[in-house]
This record gives sequence, C-alpha cells and structure tokens, in this order.
Amino acid sequence: MSKIFKLFINENIKTWKKFSTKLSIILIIVSLIGTLSFVKIIQKYEEKSTATNTINDWKFSAEKEIEYIKEILKDDSISDSDRRNFEITLEKYEMAIEYQINIYSSYWKNNLLNQITNLKQKGDTSQIAKLTEILKNNDFDGYINLQKEELKKQGLSQEEYDDKIMILDLQAKYEIGKNTNEDYWKTSILNETELFQQSVRTGIDYRTNKLLTLEQNQDYKDKIKINFYRLENDMPSTDYSVGNNFRILFEVMASNFVIVVIAITVIIIAGGAIATEVSTGTIKFWALTPNKRWKIMTAKIMSLLFYILIVTLIASLLTVIFANIFFNTDGNEYLYIKNGNVEKIGNTLFIIGYYFAKIMPVIVFAILSLMLSTITRNSSVAISLSLAIYMGNGIAMTIINSLLKKDWIKFIPFNNLNLADKIFPNFENPIAIMTGDIGPVTSLGFSLLVLGVCTILMLVTTYDSFNNRDII
Amino acid sequence: MPNTVLELKNVSKSFGKRKVIDNISLEVKEGEIYGFLGPNGSGKTTTIKMILRLIDLDKGTITVNGFDTKKQFEKAMECIGAIVENPDIYTYMTGRDNLKLHARIRNVNTKRIDEVLELVELKDRADEKVKKYSLGMKQRLGLAITLLHKPKVLILDEPTNGLDPAGIKKLRDILKEIAHKDNVAVFVSSHILAEMQLMCDKVAVIDNAKIVKIEEITNASEEKIEKVEIRVENKEKTVQILKEKFDIEIQKDAKILEIEISSEKIPTVVKELALRDAGIKAVIPKEHSLEEIFFDATKGGKK
Repeated sequence: MSKIFKLFINENIKTWKKFSTKLSIILIIVSLIGTLSFVKIIQKYEEKSTATNTINDWKFSAEKEIEYIKEILKDDSISDSDRRNFEITLEKYEMAIEYQINIYSSYWKNNLLNQITNLKQKGDTSQIAKLTEILKNNDFDGYINLQKEELKKQGLSQEEYDDKIMILDLQAKYEIGKNTNEDYWKTSILNETELFQQSVRTGIDYRTNKLLTLEQNQDYKDKIKINFYRLENDMPSTDYSVGNNFRILFEVMASNFVIVVIAITVIIIAGGAIATEVSTGTIKFWALTPNKRWKIMTAKIMSLLFYILIVTLIASLLTVIFANIFFNTDGNEYLYIKNGNVEKIGNTLFIIGYYFAKIMPVIVFAILSLMLSTITRNSSVAISLSLAIYMGNGIAMTIINSLLKKDWIKFIPFNNLNLADKIFPNFENPIAIMTGDIGPVTSLGFSLLVLGVCTILMLVTTYDSFNNRDII
Repeated sequence: MPNTVLELKNVSKSFGKRKVIDNISLEVKEGEIYGFLGPNGSGKTTTIKMILRLIDLDKGTITVNGFDTKKQFEKAMECIGAIVENPDIYTYMTGRDNLKLHARIRNVNTKRIDEVLELVELKDRADEKVKKYSLGMKQRLGLAITLLHKPKVLILDEPTNGLDPAGIKKLRDILKEIAHKDNVAVFVSSHILAEMQLMCDKVAVIDNAKIVKIEEITNASEEKIEKVEIRVENKEKTVQILKEKFDIEIQKDAKILEIEISSEKIPTVVKELALRDAGIKAVIPKEHSLEEIFFDATKGGKK
C-alpha cells in the first residue's frame, strides 16, 4: 500500500510540475472571468431596458388610445354597432385611468376590465356593478372569490376543484399578482404547482404525457411541498427567466463552462498518461522499479482522480467567491425533502455539490481517454477520440433517441450522463430552457449503475493491456 | 570466487515467426564489466529488455541475485539499475527533482542524492531543468538515477551512443570505479568495439540471435604475443636482422613487415634495428583486437 502511495505522490508531482497543468488552472480562472463579464453585460442591458419602461408609460399610451378613439367617433359614417363597440373600449381606457390600472402589468385588474367590457358588449348589466366595485376598492380577495364562483360553475371533479381552490387560496394568501410584476416568480411557482398537482392527480407526466412512476410521483409531491415552502418563506426560485437572479445565472453558467474546461484538461492528461510516457520512454523507468505494473497504473488513476478533485474544488470555491464579490444578492439555497420536512443546503455548499455532481460523468470520459491511451499508446488518437465523444455525444444521442424510440436506449451510457439533475432534482436550472428532448427518464441509481459498469469494463481493459503487453 | 549476480539460462524469444533470441545463456559476476557486443539488430536490446521484463520471454529463466525475474519480480528489480536505449528523464523537471522521484520509490534519503550527483559530476547543474542539459549530462543523470539504490547489477544499453570522446572517457571512468570499488556487476551492450575493449573485462558476442563467442579481455600488463608492423627504410637488412637475432621468418617480397612477438621483446628489437641502421620510420602495434574477435565470430558481418 505504501508503495502505491509513493507512486501516487510521484504521479502528482509529475502532473503539477507540467506547464500544461498550471495552464489549466489559469484557463479555469479565465473562463470564470469570461462568464462573469457575460452575465454582467446581460445584467446591465436588462437594467437599462427596465429603466426605460417607466410606470407612467401605460398612462401615456392609454391617453393616446383615448384620443385616437375619440377621433374615430367624430366620424359620422361608422355604423351604430361599431360606434357602440368603440364607446365601450373608450370607457375601458377611461376606467383604467380613473382607477390607476396599469393595463400592461396588472394582470388581474386588466382581466376584470376585459370582463366588464365583455359584459357591456353582451348587454348583461347584472354583474357590472359588482366587478366595478372590486376594481374601485382594489379588492384582490374579492377578485379571488369571483374566480372561485366561476370554478363552481364549471362542473369539475371534486379533486380537481379542490386543487384549483387551493391554488386560489394561495394566491389570495400571498397576494400573488396583486401589484406589479415584481413578484412574478410567485406567479410562476403557482402555475408550476398547478401543473405538478395535475400530474399527481391524473398520474400522467405533464411534460412527457407518459405514466408517472412511483418515484416520479413522489418527486412531484416533494416539489409541490417545496413550492409551498418557497412562498411561505419568500424564497424566490432559481429559474433565471422568472426571478432575474443574475447570481444564480452566473453560478450555473460558470459551472457549465468550467466543467467543459476541466473535462478537456482531464482528457488531455489522461490521454497522455500512458501514451506520452511510452513515446518518451519514461515509462520504462517506472516499469524497472520494483513495482508490479498494476501498482503503477493504480497510482496513475488515483492521481488523475485527485487532480479532478482538486481542480473541481478550486473551481467551485472560486465561483462562490466571485459570486460573493460581484453580486450583492444572497445566493440561493437548495431545498429538498427529508423525512417529509423541507431541509436547506446553503449556497456555497450547494455550488460545490453541484460542481461535483457535474464532474462525475467527466470521470467516465477520463477513464475512457486513459484506456484509449493505454491500448493505442498514441496520445493524439486517445485525446482526439475522447474529446470528440465528449463533445459530440449530446447531439448524437438526441438524434439516436428520436430515431430509436425503444425502451433499451436507456441502457446507453450517454443517456445516463446527466447526473446533476438527478442528484439535485429540485434545482431549477436557469439555463435548462434549451433542453427540449430530455431522453429516456431514468433514476439516479440506474444511471450510476450503467456508468459504473461501463467504467469497470474500461478499467479492466486498461489494466489488462498495461499488465500484459510488452513495453517496446 | 565472486558470486554470479545475473544469469540467463537458455533464453529464447521470437516476434511472430522471427527468432530474435535463440537459446542464450550467460553469467555475470560481481565486480565485472561485461560487454555485450553485436551488430545492429542482433538482439542486444531485446535481451536487455527481457532481463528487465519489459518483454516477456518465451523460454528459459533469468535470475538476478538469485531471484527469478518472473516469480520474484519486485525482489529481483530491487537489485537492478538500468538504462534502456536512452536515459528517459522528465525534461520539464530539474535533475534533482528527477532524482527525488526515484529516491521516493527506492526508499533512499537525500544524502544519497548528493552522493550520486557528486559521483557523476553533476552537482553544480542539478537544479537546472533537464531541457538545458547536454546529451552527456543526461546520460550521466540517467546513470545517477540507476545508482541511487546501490544496485548489485547495472545494466546499460548503448551508454556511449552520441557522446563525445571526453564524455565517453568520463563514463568509462565512472563505470570502472563503480565496478571495481563497489563490486557492482556492470552489463553493457554496444556495437562500438574499441569502446568495449577499453572498458570491459569480458565480452560476449551476439550475432543473428545467438551468442557466438565469449572472451575474456586480458590486461595489457600481462605477457602476451602482439602483432607489430614495422616500417623501415632498409627492408632487406631488417629482414636479415630479424632472422638472425630473433629467429623470425619473413618472406623477402612481403610488402608489409608484420611480426608476432612477445610484448616484452619489442624494446630489444627496436634497439637492435636502430643500432644496425635499419632506418626505423614507425613501429605500429597491431593489437590482437576485439575487432578480430568480432569479425571472426560474425564472419565479417556477412552470413
């Protein structure tokens, strides 16, 4: 054991004395800075665009609208029914100005206004007074009650009715959508919760239209619980498109970007591990020491894993430090359910954990590169092939999955690489909007099993080749 | 009687159908510099790689210090220091760093690192990157690495390749010191005859996968018959003198005067010729050389 440990120390010294290794750390820092500047530019741009959207803007356009309609009404040639419609619209805008209703952002008041307009057009005057009263008093609860009454009329099943009432109660309780769109994330959570409830109720996944497994069912129930917790504790979700949370956008973008940088360096190091030493002949020196070859290989693999560990730790800590320095918002906490209760993981710990969840598939590619390096003894073949597979597997699998709609595609290792989303299922990845095709749905345990078997097979091949082939 | 520390018994190896090593046996003793001579492609490096188990053997056994290199690989390797082909050193590190890597594996302390650096005369430049070393310095650093753990057997594959005469002399002196002072068995392969002759105590000649001759190289101080070419102005007179005084027969019409004579007698012959005005231009020793052994054994490289 101590012999392997000494070989392991040697391997680390060899790795860290190389210029390329030092360069990889610099590259990580550069990519972090790059991501930071990118996010900062977006932030600047968004702030600028919201600043120009002043609150009085709606008033101005409403007044314009009124002027325009009045101009039309002066014309005698229009028909009576048209005239009536225009007058109703005119009243709508006048009402908006009277009750200070921002027709662009206040969804529920706008909704009421439209209802009133509709009723006027139908000539149904019984409800108008009531609706106007709600508007006049800014009576949000009254609006919710109105919605509830509407629900009763729709003849829903008891379960569905209960679910919808629950959502409305939540909306009333937290005054979601009462004011402007500042708390838009709450609306989004509410909509999401409704979909989750629907999935649990019907047993059909709202995203894939497939039957839910027991596990997924539990997953949705947990997510509903977490959403309630978020509303109760005023904790915005991490969905960037909703919360304008630039910090989490930076953290996740940085992790995605840096993981690629780490993956490339790790693949290069692993690809050179045997091949470069064979081509420069230095492997002979180690093969001549009183150490069996499997010990040398084990030391190499250990040092590779150690390198991944150190680099990932550095990258994740740097990400958190950067985020703390350059964003004045607190980091998001990760919520999960343990024994039926909602538990929290702090931002720093979560980001580190997220990095490690993301790096796990990279280990598989590192072993692949090491195996190719040992078999071919040619570092360029090993590195280029591994890099190509690493970069190309996403697109390739999307095509293959869409062509082969079979059940067994879930056994393909490349369909099981997305471990981070399985380890942190309650984390709304702010840049996950792009992922259209999610491939076969598998559990974390299954994915780990597939990748584990794959890794063990590659390791056996590597050891076998290194132990038994002549070093010429 | 010195112990045998490296022994090859009936070792054979083929790559595909081609026999690279055919039933080789040899013994190397403590304190002996053993030359392994052969033309390019005769199987020298393959033999060395088999001793070091970089290549597996088909038949036969190899023991180092009594340990079988297959069954007791780790124990056998503890007794060996070796450079195969080139000294393969990490060029992006300093000489001392390279030594430290090996010192850790071999359980050697830092004091020994300084010792070997002194031995190979690299102490001043040990903290420079190996990139900046000359070939001779790399060779010597490689040697220092192999000597770290005080091996019983030192195996060097073509150590003089690419070295200048000064470098070769330095290497020779170091090897002689190690072998004769520290009682290390040195096994050196080469295709350079003159080099072997100056360095080795014993030479095995390998050709076409077989050992064709094993010969001890006697020291110059011992009495032996040498071949000498004598160039003179007066040829006839010389032939006459040689015949009368030393009883050496030479045909009169021979173009070159070549005699075989005990080395002790050479001064007397020269003195006699000089006194009798034979007009000596040059006396050239034609050594009973390795070259001859080599060409005899390998039949001039043609077979």
